[in-house]
Amino acid sequence: MMIREKGYTHWDGILRERRYPWWPITRLGIKLTFKRKHFKFLFFGSLVPAVAYLAGIYISERIEDFRYILRGSQRFLQINPAYFKSYFTSDFLLFMMVMILVFCGAGLISDDLKYNSLQLYFSKPLRKKDYFLGKASVIFFFLLMLTLVPGIVFFVMKLIFSGSFQFLRTYPWLLLSVIGYSALVTIFFSFYTLLISSLSKNRRYVGILIFAIYIFSDIFFGIFFGIFKNQYFSLLSLKGNLQQVGALFFGQKPPFQVPWLYSFFILLCVCFLASAILKKKIKGVEVIK
Amino acid sequence: MSIELKNIHFSYGKVKALEGIDLSLSEGAVGLLGPNGAGKSTLLRILLGFLSPDRGEGRVLGYDIKQEQSFIRRYVGYMPEDDCLIPGMDAVSFTSYFGELSGMPRQEAMKRAHEVLFYVGLGESRYRLLETYSAGMKQRLKLAQAIVHDPKLLFLDEPTSNLDPQGRKEILELIEDITSKRDIQVLISSHILPDIESTCSYVVILNKGRLAAQGKISELKEITYRLYEIKVKGEEERFLEKLKRMGCKVDETEDKLIKVYMPSHQDLMEIFRVALEEKIQIRHFVKSQTSLEDLFAKTVGVD
Repeated sequence: MMIREKGYTHWDGILRERRYPWWPITRLGIKLTFKRKHFKFLFFGSLVPAVAYLAGIYISERIEDFRYILRGSQRFLQINPAYFKSYFTSDFLLFMMVMILVFCGAGLISDDLKYNSLQLYFSKPLRKKDYFLGKASVIFFFLLMLTLVPGIVFFVMKLIFSGSFQFLRTYPWLLLSVIGYSALVTIFFSFYTLLISSLSKNRRYVGILIFAIYIFSDIFFGIFFGIFKNQYFSLLSLKGNLQQVGALFFGQKPPFQVPWLYSFFILLCVCFLASAILKKKIKGVEVIK
Repeated sequence: MSIELKNIHFSYGKVKALEGIDLSLSEGAVGLLGPNGAGKSTLLRILLGFLSPDRGEGRVLGYDIKQEQSFIRRYVGYMPEDDCLIPGMDAVSFTSYFGELSGMPRQEAMKRAHEVLFYVGLGESRYRLLETYSAGMKQRLKLAQAIVHDPKLLFLDEPTSNLDPQGRKEILELIEDITSKRDIQVLISSHILPDIESTCSYVVILNKGRLAAQGKISELKEITYRLYEIKVKGEEERFLEKLKRMGCKVDETEDKLIKVYMPSHQDLMEIFRVALEEKIQIRHFVKSQTSLEDLFAKTVGVD
């Protein structure tokens, strides 16, 4: 190996405080996720429902042209908050979001723990919150691509296809619902993923845990509900809680006869718990007291 | 002064890691020595702001170690002891990434990353995935990320650990080259005493969380003691006992060579006087060249 042919040289630039110190972390996280095998296929596959719903919006405005296809299904193509809610809280979309978390979120912290890179991060002028924000923004990016972006596109396309602002006048709050629910689901899943990612140095275990907790929370709800016929067991299900709060955001009837506030409280508790654990676990050095 | 510490105390629960450390370091390469558990790593962590001292105060590059850690970290480079990498990256992106996190503009960081990777000898393999790097290459990579932003102060934690002799020699050459720049100060924590002796002019020795010695290596070796190597014939137990009572530290090697660390105020002839009293024949008597290892053994009390 050739060593120091010309000796150590100084860099003549000036080190500056970054406005968004977390941005390089986010950019790297997104880049490395896209490099993962099969991720592109999964990600674009998870956009299929968005394309289908967009097609639905188009067809709803050209109902006469598509009468022969629709037959008795016109009711499905009424574009209203229920239409938006059915997209945002669909089992398939939530499932695909969890699958994306497995790919993009599992290694976010666990890899840093495994390969000792935390001490490199924190030997730079980076605060803990910058580190977390950088990591969480990777999840924000992918989940908002599945929630906020399609939601806004649906809304805008509805206005374009209808050629009037009638939809906006009828549901002026709908855009806020889209933004609010997208933010809620993204923030919840970010905390959920980062928490699990900080619990193990093995990204495979983390991936399995992210998936298993989501699925088994729903299975347990099914089992208990089957035995006791009590809808309050829906609070055990992460999916159930998200759907319950989602219904509230879009002004629809909740799927379970349980106050939505309970579900919201549970999601909030998970976020607080994650925040407390992450704050305690993530340090520049491991200190055993 | 680049590092100034006053009465630094730190405990891990009930275990006292540092007790009343006072340090004042200005320029050049400084070796940080001490046996396991002496508090070297804790001291480095405090200097980097990873840990906040329980008591005492300090400044690194003029910034307060309790309040202004982010300023310190901007101008300090840190090469940790453990292997550190980010899977899926190559050396160029890795090095420029940490340059960016230090506050360099993105393009400048990329340009500088190429430069430092050539400098540390990873130029040819800078586009290889980090997971495929050998131990020596990972060590160079850590050095590259530590110097990419051209720090004013460089902390090197065991820079030559896990390296073969050739790799160790090359890393030491790099460190010597960096320390030859007068405007970069280097603090090297190492167990390998010859490494410290070859790269540093100043040394700080910690023992059980306290400052055991500090100063220029040459002066410490001269002032604190003289070392004599002796071989004797006869019952040596009482002879050694008397030397110890005189204030000498005595070590015996496997091949029966007795090393006598004699305080500077003692008269050399005392050794012969005691030998005469105990009817001991001195068969070999050499004033030894004192090494840092000897100084370390004398100061810390271990071989």
